[in-house]
Amino acid sequence: MDLLFSIAVGAMFAIGIFQVLRRNVIRSVIGLFILSNAVNLFLLSSGAYQGVVAAYVNGSSLTASDALPQALILTAIVISMGGLALVLSLVYILSVRYKISDADKIKKLRY
Amino acid sequence: MTLVIVLIACLAGALLALLFKLGSFERKFSITSLSLFLALAPGWTFIWLLGRAPQVIATGVGGSQLEWSFAWLPSLGLNLSFYLDGLSLLFGLLISGIGVLILVYTGYYFKGDASAWRFLAYLLLFMAAMLGLVLAGDTITLFIFWEATSITSFLLVAYKYKDESARQGAFRALLITGGGGIALLAGLLLVQSIAGSSQWRVILNSGALIRGNDLYPLALALIAFGAFTKSAQAPAHIWLPGAMSAPTPASAFLHSATMVKAGIYLLARFNPALGNTDLWFWMLSLVGMLTMLTGAYLGLKQNDLKALLAYSTISQLGVMVMLIGQDTEIAFKALVVGILAHALYKSALFMVAGIIDHETGTRDLRQLGGIWRAMPATFSIALVGALSMAGLPPLFGFLAKETLLATVTHPSVPIVWDWIFTLAVVTAGALLLAQSGLLVAGAFLGKRPEGLSAHEAPAPMWLAPAVPAVASLLISALPEPASIAGLLASAAASAFGAKVKVSLALWTGLTVPLLLSIVAVSLGSLIFYFRNRVRNRLMSILPDFTFNRAYQGLLSGVDRAAYLVTRTQHGRLRSYLSVMISALGLLLLFLGRIPVVAPFIQAPRLDLSGELAVLRLFSLLLAVAAALATILLHRDLFAILALSASGLSIAMLLILEPAPDVAMVQIIVDLLLVVILVLALTRIPREQRDRARYYTFHQGGLSLARDIILAAGAGIVMTAVTYQALTSRPRQSILTPYYFENALPLTGAKDVVGAIVADFRGFDTMIEISVFAMAGIGVYTLLRYASRKAGDRDERSPAPAGQALKSLGIGGLNTSPFIRSVASAVLPLALVISATHLLLGHMQPGDGFTAGVIASLAVAFWYVIFGYDVTRQRLRWFKSPYLTGAGLLLALLNASVPLLLAQPIFSPLDYGAMLGISLPAGMKLTSALVFELAIAISVVGGVSAILDALGHPKDDDVDAIRHLQEIPPGE
Repeated sequence: MDLLFSIAVGAMFAIGIFQVLRRNVIRSVIGLFILSNAVNLFLLSSGAYQGVVAAYVNGSSLTASDALPQALILTAIVISMGGLALVLSLVYILSVRYKISDADKIKKLRY
Repeated sequence: MTLVIVLIACLAGALLALLFKLGSFERKFSITSLSLFLALAPGWTFIWLLGRAPQVIATGVGGSQLEWSFAWLPSLGLNLSFYLDGLSLLFGLLISGIGVLILVYTGYYFKGDASAWRFLAYLLLFMAAMLGLVLAGDTITLFIFWEATSITSFLLVAYKYKDESARQGAFRALLITGGGGIALLAGLLLVQSIAGSSQWRVILNSGALIRGNDLYPLALALIAFGAFTKSAQAPAHIWLPGAMSAPTPASAFLHSATMVKAGIYLLARFNPALGNTDLWFWMLSLVGMLTMLTGAYLGLKQNDLKALLAYSTISQLGVMVMLIGQDTEIAFKALVVGILAHALYKSALFMVAGIIDHETGTRDLRQLGGIWRAMPATFSIALVGALSMAGLPPLFGFLAKETLLATVTHPSVPIVWDWIFTLAVVTAGALLLAQSGLLVAGAFLGKRPEGLSAHEAPAPMWLAPAVPAVASLLISALPEPASIAGLLASAAASAFGAKVKVSLALWTGLTVPLLLSIVAVSLGSLIFYFRNRVRNRLMSILPDFTFNRAYQGLLSGVDRAAYLVTRTQHGRLRSYLSVMISALGLLLLFLGRIPVVAPFIQAPRLDLSGELAVLRLFSLLLAVAAALATILLHRDLFAILALSASGLSIAMLLILEPAPDVAMVQIIVDLLLVVILVLALTRIPREQRDRARYYTFHQGGLSLARDIILAAGAGIVMTAVTYQALTSRPRQSILTPYYFENALPLTGAKDVVGAIVADFRGFDTMIEISVFAMAGIGVYTLLRYASRKAGDRDERSPAPAGQALKSLGIGGLNTSPFIRSVASAVLPLALVISATHLLLGHMQPGDGFTAGVIASLAVAFWYVIFGYDVTRQRLRWFKSPYLTGAGLLLALLNASVPLLLAQPIFSPLDYGAMLGISLPAGMKLTSALVFELAIAISVVGGVSAILDALGHPKDDDVDAIRHLQEIPPGE
C-alpha cells in the first residue's frame, strides 16, 4: 500500500507541476490545487497505523485511525481554499490589467 | 554622582539648538550668542570631569570608583553602564575642553548665518556621542555610541549638503566607518562571550583567558578592523581627506581631537585584555607604520591647507597605533603625551586654517602667502602650532616625538625591525617637519599674491585656537606640571594595565632619542629648504594614483555585480518557476540522500491484502486519473469539474481511513471550490480564455518537452521522498496515544480530531483561522481594487429590502422555480445542520470547520441560483467584515478568559459546569464549544468575503441584469 500511495502522490505532484507550468494561468491555479491535494494525500498516508474505526474515544477494542494527520489535513483543506481564492483574485486582476491570461505575456516584473 | 549627567548636558544643548529654530528665537538672539551659551554644556562637563580627576588619579590601575549602571535588558545581561578611569578621563577632558573652544569658534565662523543652529545641534549631539563612547562601561554601550559618532559625524560632514563633494565625502566616511562598526560589533560580541561579561571591569581582568582562547585572533582582527577604519589607518585612510569638505569647526573637532581618536581609544582600552601578544604587536606596528609613512608622504603633495592637515593627522594616528602595539611602559607614556599634544596643536592649526579661509576666501597654498603682517595673531598661533607639529623644542610636540623615538630604540623587537621602525619614524618625523614648514611658509610668508585681501579675525575667533597653542607651549615650558603628569600617568596606566611613570622634562641629557631627533630635524629642514623641487618631483610620481581609485573601483564593481544579477530577472515567469522547481528537486535529492532507483528495483509486490485495499486502490486511481484529466480536457469548466472529481476521490480515501470529520470538510470544500472557480471564471472574458486555451494547447515542442521532463522529474523525486518517508516511519505513534488517552479527561471530547483542533493545538487553529480570514479580506480588497481599475462603480450597496428583484443566476441566466425553492429550503436546513455539528461536535463527527463550510456552501448555492443582488438583499447578515471580526474576536476573548482565572491562556474550561447549567446528554458548554463557534463564524466570514468579491458582477453584466430586471415578469 505504501508504494501505491507514493506513486499516487508522485503522479499528482507531476500533474500539478505540469499544470502550474502552463501558459494559461487558470490551468496554473488548477495545478496549485492539485498540488495541495497531493500534499493532503501524503499527510493522510503518513498516519502511523491503519485503523478500522474512526478516531473516537468509545471503548471499542478495534483500532482507531491515526487522529494526528487528520487534524493536520482538516485545517489544511480550509486554508488551501482561502489561498486558492486569493490566487484566483490575482488571476482576475491580471486579466483586468493585461487583458490576457497568458503567463508569458505578463512581463512587467522584469528588471 | 552619576556619570550620565555629562551626556545629558550635551543632549540638552542639542535640544536647545533645536528649540532655537522651533521657537523662532533667531530674531532675538544671534547665532553667536546661542553658540556661546551652548558652550556652557561642554564647559560644565569639563569642570565636572576635572573635579573627579583627583579621585581617578588616586584610584590607580585596574579599577574605577566611578561607575554608573542602568539595568536595560537584565535577562540578557545587558546594561547601559558608564565607567570613568584615567583613560576615559583624559579623552573626556579633551573632548569637552576642545568642545568649548570649538563652540566659541563656531559662533564667529557662522556669524550671521541663522541656519547654523542645525550645525550646532549636530555638533552637540556628536559631543554627547563621543563622551558616551569614552565613558562607556561595557561593550554594548560602547558600540551604540560608536555608531552614534559615525552617524552624527556623517551629518556634520554633509552639513553643506548642496555641495556634491560634501555629500560624497560624508557618504564615503560613513561607508568605511560603518563597515568597520559592523566588524567591531562582531569582535565585541566574541570578546564578550569569551570573557563571560560585557563589563569593562570583567573584560579587562580576563586578559589571559581571552588571549588563550582559539577565537582570539578572529576577535582581535575584527576589533582592530573597526578601530583602524575609525582612526583612518591605511588603506582605510581615504575617508579622512574626503571628510575635509565639512565646515572647518567640525574638522577641527572631529578630525583632530575626537572622532579619529576613537579607534585609538578603543585599542588603548583593549590593550590590557587583547594586547601583549605577537599578533597584536605585528598587526598594530605594521599598520601603524604604513599609515605613518603614507600620511607623511601624501601630505607633502597637498595644496589645500585642510588636506595637508588631514594627512598629517593620518600620519600621527599611525604613530599612535604603532605605539599601542609596543607593550612597553615608555610606549604608553609616549602615547598619552602624543594624544594630548596632537589634540592641542592640530585643533589649533585647523582653526587657523578656518580663519585663513574665512578672512581671505581661499585655503589653497598656491594662492596664499605673505599675509603674516595682516594677521599677526593668527600667524603667531600657526607658528606655535606648526613648531609643535614639527616636534621642535621647547614645545609639547617635541616631547611627544622624543618619547616616540625612545620607544622604537627599545630593545624589545628583533634587531632588524628595530632598525626599520627607527628609520620609518625618523623619515616620518622629517616629512612632518617639512609639512609644518610648508604650512607656515606657504600660507603666511613669501610674496603676497595680487588681489589677496586679508585682515585679522575678530578676537574670540583667534582666541579659541590660541588657548591650545599656548597650552602646548606652557605644559613643557613650566617646571614639571605635576597635575598634568599625574593625569597622563593615570591614563597611560589604564591603557598599559600597570603603573606608568610620566615625566615631562624637556632635557634628559644627550640620549639616543635626542640624537635621532637631531637627525630627523636636519633631514626635515633639508626637505623644507628644497621643498619646491621635492614637491614637483613628488607630484610627477604616480600623479593619478590614489587609494581613492581602488575605493571607486570597488564601488563600481559592486554596482556592476548588482546589474549582472538583475539581468537574470528577465520576466519570464515560467522560467523562474522551472528554475525554482529544479533547484528544489535537486536540493531534496542531494541533501536528503534519498534513494530514487533502489526502492523500485527491489520493489515489494503489490500488497492488496489489507482491509478495503481494493477500494483504496480504486480511489487512488480515480484521484490521479481525474487530475490527469484536468490537463487533457480543453474546456476550463470541464477541467474544473475534473479537479473536483479528484478532490472527491481524496474524500473517498478519507472515508476509507476512516476519518469522517475530514472527509466531510473535504467534500464540502470541494463543492465550494467549484463554485468559487466558476464564479472567477465568469469574470474573465470569454475571448481571453479562448486565447489562453489556444496557447496552452499549441505549445512549442521544445518547451512542452521541458515541462514534461520537469514534471516527471518532480514526480519521481516526490515518489521517492514519499516512499522513503512512508517505509521508514515508525509503526507506533508517539503523539497519537497521548491524544487518545487525554482527549476525554482533559478536554471532555470524545472526538479526538476535534479535540486536537480545538484544544490541543488550539493556538495553531486560531492562527489558521486568522490566515483564512486574511485570505478572505485579501480577495475582497484585491477585487475591489480591480473593479476600480476596470472603471466599475465603487460602492455597491444592496438594494433596499422592499424592492422586488428578479432572481438571475450566474451569468444572468434564468433559473427554474423548482431549483429556487430547493435553494430557499437548503439554507435553513444547512444552518440547522451546522448548529448540530457545532453542539455535538465533541462527541460525534463534525466541528467548527465543518459547520462553517456547510453554512458557506448553502450561501454559495444562493449566489449561483439567485445571483448577487438578491442574495445580498435577502441575506443581510451575511457581511464578511462583521462575521470575520466577530469570529476572531470571539476566539481571542475565549482564549483569554482563563487568564482572568489565573490559568494559562487557551486552558480548557467547562462553562456549563461552572455556571451549573444542565444540558442534554452529549452536549457540553465548554470553552472548546465557544472556540468551535468562533471558528465557524470566521470561516463563514472568510468565505463570504470571497463570494462577495467574486460573485459581485462586473458592471457590464450589472447593466444587463438591471435591464432585464426592469422588464416585468410575463412579458
